[in-house]
Amino acid sequence: MCGSRATAYEQRLVARFREGDPHALDALFERNVDRVYAYARCILGNREDAEEVAAEAFSQAFRHCLDFRGESEFAGWLFGITRNLCRSRLRQPRLLTMPLRPEDAVTDDTPERAALRADVQAALADLPQEHQDVLVLCDVEDWDAAEAAGILGRSVSATRSLLYRARRALRQRLAARWMEE
Amino acid sequence: MRCAEAQRLIDLYVEDGLPEDARVALERHALACPACAFDLRSCEQTRRQLRAALQCEGAPPDFREKLSARLHHQFAADLHAEREENPFQRQLPLLMPAEDRR
Repeated sequence: MCGSRATAYEQRLVARFREGDPHALDALFERNVDRVYAYARCILGNREDAEEVAAEAFSQAFRHCLDFRGESEFAGWLFGITRNLCRSRLRQPRLLTMPLRPEDAVTDDTPERAALRADVQAALADLPQEHQDVLVLCDVEDWDAAEAAGILGRSVSATRSLLYRARRALRQRLAARWMEE
Repeated sequence: MRCAEAQRLIDLYVEDGLPEDARVALERHALACPACAFDLRSCEQTRRQLRAALQCEGAPPDFREKLSARLHHQFAADLHAEREENPFQRQLPLLMPAEDRR
């Protein structure tokens, strides 16, 4: 989605938000809320945690806009914060997190489909964190390498190279899992 | 096309990021090279399976509504809630190129 025109548009919204325009808050929120929520849900696996993380991420990102001047990019900050919040949430003991809501269960999956889903999730969880991050951003959430590079704090070429390795590592894990069966 | 070049292009191929001529050249190579054909198909499949397993819907409507209200409340002191709406600002999204609007 981004591109330089969209980024420039978002920077104008940030400037208007700093001037106190409530419509700018709405526009920044609407532009990003679905992706932030889907990203957090994908990492955390349940609606409850995803909602809490998304709410906190927006709160911190808007606060950041007001406290720090300069050319920082709203979406980049927002997703960087979301990623860090997801990581710290995952480090919490599971007993402290909320159980899945019934609506989080995938009810329209066939048993074969549910098994595939479980296998992929388990294989992904076996990968290093940086591999999980880049796969979720680029292959699940459809960010391009340049956008993901901004979130991950890497160059575009380093992100491409990481993505290359991550895809093959995931493929190996899945193949090994299915060879055992 | 040699295998080394094919391997370099496979990731862009599965992202649909290759120009037509390179895409066709890679597909031709894959028809003649079982090893690269296997890599290409398994890379596509892995990506598809990952998306199928993890892709989520956007934010639920009730959550959007509550969070939007909460943010307005949280930043009320920084926003001019009662200010007259500037007609130029209302039109601003319409000035944006269509492909950038969300």
